[in-house]
Amino acid sequence: MTEPLITLKNFFERARDGALTGVRCGKCGALAIPPKEFCESCHQRAWEPVALSGQGTIASYTIIRVAPARHAAEAPYAVAVVKLKEGVSLLGRIVDMPLDKLQVGLPVKFRPLVSKDQTTVGFGPA
Amino acid sequence: MRRAAVIGVGVTKFGKHDRTSAELFAEAARDALADAELPPSAVQALYYGNVVGGETEKQLHTGPQAASVLGIPTVPTTRFEAACASSHAAFRHAVMEVAAGLSDVVLVGGAERVLNVSTAEATEYFAYASDAVWEQSVGLTFPGVFALIARAHMTKHGTTEEQMAHVAVKNHRHGALNPKAQFQKEITLEEVLASAYVADPLKLYDCCPFTDGGAAVVLVSEEIARRRRRAIWVLGSAAASDSMLMHDKRDLARVPATERAAAAAYRQAGLGPENVDVVELHDCFTIAEIVATEGLGLFEPGSGGIAAEKGWTSLGGKVPVNTSGGLKAKGHPIGATGAAQIVEVVTQLRGEAGPRQVEGARIGLTHTLGGNTATVLVSLFGRD
Repeated sequence: MTEPLITLKNFFERARDGALTGVRCGKCGALAIPPKEFCESCHQRAWEPVALSGQGTIASYTIIRVAPARHAAEAPYAVAVVKLKEGVSLLGRIVDMPLDKLQVGLPVKFRPLVSKDQTTVGFGPA
Repeated sequence: MRRAAVIGVGVTKFGKHDRTSAELFAEAARDALADAELPPSAVQALYYGNVVGGETEKQLHTGPQAASVLGIPTVPTTRFEAACASSHAAFRHAVMEVAAGLSDVVLVGGAERVLNVSTAEATEYFAYASDAVWEQSVGLTFPGVFALIARAHMTKHGTTEEQMAHVAVKNHRHGALNPKAQFQKEITLEEVLASAYVADPLKLYDCCPFTDGGAAVVLVSEEIARRRRRAIWVLGSAAASDSMLMHDKRDLARVPATERAAAAAYRQAGLGPENVDVVELHDCFTIAEIVATEGLGLFEPGSGGIAAEKGWTSLGGKVPVNTSGGLKAKGHPIGATGAAQIVEVVTQLRGEAGPRQVEGARIGLTHTLGGNTATVLVSLFGRD
């Protein structure tokens, strides 16, 4: 009862295998991306893990042309907030889609981006 | 609770300096104390803002360092880190210390040095104020954060890149009137629209520059303020926070923390947006000014772009915004910005702003935003 339901480490271990895991509040039904200790809507702690489809649409996006030092070699690249089918949103790197064809509302699908020991959130064509 | 007032202000020239942030703060603080007609020995506490000192100067504990360079090493000093809102957060806490009766004279300020590192390094350090695991990892930058907001605002309200460009043109026009501004040069709408994309839809001239600089204000109790002719009263000072992560925000076209901080500050002051004569707000990017004018209640949600286009926020307009040139033209030394905005509003309310003076200004507002819109502070000021 006291251990966290899903840690960041758990989330990204599952994400590495292609599975996105959200949490749903057993009291009010709010859906969230972990880690969250209390539900920000009702402040209860009654989370249940829920599998997310990874399918969604672009809510907003940008093309980063001036990148931080450690991403400089990757620029230009697109980053988007994607509204998932289930209602929560997730920020990720857009891959394998032409930058000039991106638009709000475009369907995309989750794809783990794995480099060495780090997994990050990516989205590719639906 | 006691009333508090600002009786001294100081700010360095903004731009590139070959001095440490502590030296820049000390210059601004020296000017603020002289303006307040108080000796350094009168200062009972220092509330200080500095953000990326750990990275650009390899320097932590920048509060006591700044106090030592100023020459007040034994004064209790606290450094605040609230990203770009750091010295405004420091100011709010200083107001509480004076209001609570713990101190009668508190020095507030901040400084930042970033032009000693490359743009790519500075871009990375500023991105440390977004989430390391979810956001820095995918290469999100600060222009990127506001580009996501801009795209959402354009989609929801029809705001255009040209309307955003009007903000840049206006703030450069104001900055040209401010001898402390980093850019004292007017620019045209065409130049803004032709500048290169940094993070689409934001272009170079939609972005504030990297800046070195320091700012300071002297905050005192009512008893001391009553002995000064140019005291400017603090009518309200409020903070609000919001979700850290961009993906947790329910509406990317809004900044709810601005709306909440403004509501609290207006309530404290017994005022509303219709009472405000002059505004210094957080225009780190042109879209940030548009969204802030809406969140502060100066214009209806979705109409901030129209207000910029129509000139309603210009000197001579309905409510002049960023008469200093704003972060866009005056510059944005992040740890100093909140204090520097207060310097401008105090200068305006004293009627000492020269060619950029808003005639008859009685009520002023400052608004400072930190990080991914996760911290906002709003303060209201008035003259007797």
